[in-house]
Amino acid sequence: MMPSNVRGLDFQSLSLLDALDFAVLIEEEARERYEEFAHQMELHRSPEAARFFWFMEGNEEKHRSALAAQRKERFGDAPSRVTRAMIFDIEAPDYDEARAFMTVREALSAALRAEEKAAAFFAAALAVVTDPGVKALFAELHEEEVEHQRLVMVHLGRAPADPAIHPSEFADDPVAID
Amino acid sequence: MSTDLVIGMAGSGGDGIISAGDSLLSAAAAEGYHAMMTKSFGSQIRGGESSCRVRISTSTLYNPGGLLDVAVALNWEDFLKFGAELPVGADTVVIYDEATGVAVDQIPLPGTRPHEVFAVPIGAMAKEAAGTDKAKNSVVLGLLSGWFDLAREAVRKGMAKRWAEKGEALLAANARAFDLGERYAQDHPLKVARRMTRPEHTRENLKLDGNDMCAAAAIYAGCEVFGGYPITPSTEVMQHLSRELWRYGGAVLQAEDEIAGIGVAVGASFAGKKAMTATSGPGMSLKTEMLGLASIAELPLVCLNVQRGGPSTGLPTKPEQSDLFQAAFSAHGDVLRPVLAPTSVADTFRVTVEAFNIAERFQTPVIILSDQEIAQRKETVTPFDPRTIPVEERRRPQGAELEHYQRYLETESGISPISHPGLAGGNYLAAGIEHNEHGDPTGSGKIHGRMNAKRFRKLDPLKQRRDLFCVEGDSDAPLAVVSWGSIAGVCREAVALVRHQGLRVKLLVPWLVYPVAEEIYRDFLASAHAGLVVEQSHQGQLYRVLRMFIDLPSSVQSLTRSGAHPFQPNEIAQRLHMLALSLQQRGPEPHPTQE
Amino acid sequence: MSTLQAKDFKSSLRPIWCPGCGDFGVLQALYRALAAVGRPPHEVAFVSGIGCSSRIPGYTTAYGFNSVHGRSLPIAQGIKLARPELLVVCAGGDGDGFSIGGGHVAHAVRRNFDITYIVMDNQIYGLTKGQLSPTSPRGLHTVTSSLGSLENPVNPLLFLLAYGAGFVAQGTPVDMPGLAALVEEAIRFPGFSFVNVQSPCVTYGQESQQAKAQKQMMKTLDSLGHDPSDRLAAMGLAQQYGEALHTGVFYRDPNPPPTYDALVRERQRHEADGRTRDQVFELFAH
Repeated sequence: MMPSNVRGLDFQSLSLLDALDFAVLIEEEARERYEEFAHQMELHRSPEAARFFWFMEGNEEKHRSALAAQRKERFGDAPSRVTRAMIFDIEAPDYDEARAFMTVREALSAALRAEEKAAAFFAAALAVVTDPGVKALFAELHEEEVEHQRLVMVHLGRAPADPAIHPSEFADDPVAID
Repeated sequence: MSTDLVIGMAGSGGDGIISAGDSLLSAAAAEGYHAMMTKSFGSQIRGGESSCRVRISTSTLYNPGGLLDVAVALNWEDFLKFGAELPVGADTVVIYDEATGVAVDQIPLPGTRPHEVFAVPIGAMAKEAAGTDKAKNSVVLGLLSGWFDLAREAVRKGMAKRWAEKGEALLAANARAFDLGERYAQDHPLKVARRMTRPEHTRENLKLDGNDMCAAAAIYAGCEVFGGYPITPSTEVMQHLSRELWRYGGAVLQAEDEIAGIGVAVGASFAGKKAMTATSGPGMSLKTEMLGLASIAELPLVCLNVQRGGPSTGLPTKPEQSDLFQAAFSAHGDVLRPVLAPTSVADTFRVTVEAFNIAERFQTPVIILSDQEIAQRKETVTPFDPRTIPVEERRRPQGAELEHYQRYLETESGISPISHPGLAGGNYLAAGIEHNEHGDPTGSGKIHGRMNAKRFRKLDPLKQRRDLFCVEGDSDAPLAVVSWGSIAGVCREAVALVRHQGLRVKLLVPWLVYPVAEEIYRDFLASAHAGLVVEQSHQGQLYRVLRMFIDLPSSVQSLTRSGAHPFQPNEIAQRLHMLALSLQQRGPEPHPTQE
Repeated sequence: MSTLQAKDFKSSLRPIWCPGCGDFGVLQALYRALAAVGRPPHEVAFVSGIGCSSRIPGYTTAYGFNSVHGRSLPIAQGIKLARPELLVVCAGGDGDGFSIGGGHVAHAVRRNFDITYIVMDNQIYGLTKGQLSPTSPRGLHTVTSSLGSLENPVNPLLFLLAYGAGFVAQGTPVDMPGLAALVEEAIRFPGFSFVNVQSPCVTYGQESQQAKAQKQMMKTLDSLGHDPSDRLAAMGLAQQYGEALHTGVFYRDPNPPPTYDALVRERQRHEADGRTRDQVFELFAH
């Protein structure tokens, strides 16, 4: 049984304002997660994976700002009724996706799964929302996620093959620190 | 006439011997005498052999005295079990129950033939007065009153108070028993009169033991939380506070074990309140880890150890001074923590307040090393105004210090302003792990070195605290005595005695036992050609600790033995005489510091 | 309504946990729960013992105390005793809580301070490299049970329920919002509250405990129709610890008794008689 990743928000009655705020938060959540992953990779000395996660962080931030600008243009500073507490890992990769000594391919695969998850979410949401403006927005977002997947696939195509022996095999045993 | 009387009494628990001693003590206090009482008993919870010794004097007392002036034996089997605590000499007036069937010239005290021995029908008089021989202790009080004029009125008043709740009949019976005893004494006078002189002042003295005093001082010093666990002989501190601390807005928690007890205190200190725990040797062993945590987290904490015979379960009801090594050194890693030791019930107050002040000022755990003798010895204390002793608070951050607050800021003094949860801007992580100035965990050797240095350096000013040392006697004396804890009280009397007899001696009593204040000891020992470090442990722990830090001359010797057999003033006096003689015999030697 | 946000509780210290560690999700849940409750970070005291999960206070902006192994509960109680107005949270792992710290749990429960205790249960000792823990299943091969553990595991849920805790819940970082809601509820509960978190260790934990497996296994107590006011029913379900992963509130006392801290305050009010500390010797007058 999947955990619910939206709480306290009735999708059927979602207005465009709500939907835009919602979209901004999804991107924000994803951006933060990629930033965390990037930090983790740096701390655990996997610079290539870190670089990739910073790249994804940048993408999410670009997307977020664009949506935020859209929202500002259409609705100014109208109060938002959507909060971060209402969403969970819609586009952000699961915490479980990160691993010490991840290769770039593995990082890319994690991003791909996150994008697939997001696309599936919007596809499902489209079936539920009624407001035409919202429908249009979600369709657009869905398209974008699909496009992102394509991009990630391209990167995957170009990414060097994973070595026959995984880097973690060369790593020292974990150490006891306390 | 006597100005100083030492009375020892023994019987079985059912005889109420200790209650009798207590009555005497209360009466002495009420009439303005100086007095102290120690108890000793077997290992049964009730009804085993039981003894007490009460010393009453018109001048200040420092220890419970040596040979008994009066010995009361309700039965010989029990009395003889207390050979060490109740030594009898030729001048001791021996009083015993005729019912033991022992003839006056056949009393079973090996090697002693006291001049005055009375076989008194104590049990019979009790039976006559009260219908039961259990009223023996009241008869004894009457006898003592009759022979020694011991605060008669006060004793009777005390009896009235004690028996009042139990009913008129019981009070009357005991009063009758007292009267019978008194009359017997009047009818059988002593060969040599020994009536107690009246004290100069009839102001009523307080009557407290060391545990009471420590609790009172903790209240005065501002203690707000006490966490602890019962262990003989410190439990009374917790019990007392558990009645009283609430009224001052404080709280007491008897925890599930020793570790939780100090844990509660550590938490309370972290929360910004003055906190305390109390225990004895075995509990100190368990608390070691938490003490280390408090040291590295730089949290103020007072930890009382009422020393008892060790090691392990040892001798739970006997005093010893063998936990100094543990107090000073028991920690993994480099830890410096102050250790203070009272020498009497009276100075337990000031030592406890100082412990709190030092803990708060230097943000460190402080150990108070009391011992079973001081803790459970009831003593009269001349009333004093506690406000003569200042109370200190920890240095909290203010204003700009709360912007980018660094909990472990490396200041020149080594003391960093300390915040607590609830103080906005002062948020920090306290931890047992080594940390940088901000409090973040670190494994850096460089930072660790600096932090260790900080934690040690901040305590340097303690070594200049001459007010935490007591020096008595002739300042240029060639004979020097160093002593600490309850034994220091014995040394005080011994030194006064031998000075009276013409020797030039001086005495140093450290209340601050650790860190070793090298300069103060060096100054003290400068004139000494010979000396003694007197204490109560098999290893002579202070002697050895001093040798770690200062060049103790070889002519300064360790005079020590295991606890439960305390030195008496004349033992030390004799030793000092011998030392003085040996000085004369070998002639003055060039002292290491002179040349 | 709280004006605080999750990020107000995030400190600048980067967690040392392995990437993929379940504790990241627990930390997020904590940020959310604390933000929802609305007490500012300086009014929160967060105590832990020793272990990977015990590092957690340092990753929040609250006042933290990363103390010694197994002893966070006494310290937390000391803090609450000294300043009952603070929000006090206690956290640690299954070893910290049920091995060396096991003796303190019953007493923390029966004292009933208003404290929330969160255990990150991963059935292994992670920080010290993979030894047996008190919740490890029998037969598990670890570095200290190379030939398989001969011990039966502790059941933290059953323990807490049997000791009489007024609030017992279980969650997982796989459902972080659900966990955040549980932690928030635990904090709000007036009394000692316990949340067991199945937080997988990606380095030493078993396959069957990892996030993927959890997603398949987990069942909410709601979906089973459980009534959280029924302690015995809760204990019945708790007995499946190890085989099932039930999330939600096992037990919530509908009539919680007064907390220890409330009783302390009442007593202090009652005992106050205007006597000042320098009048202490009046207590010893004859």
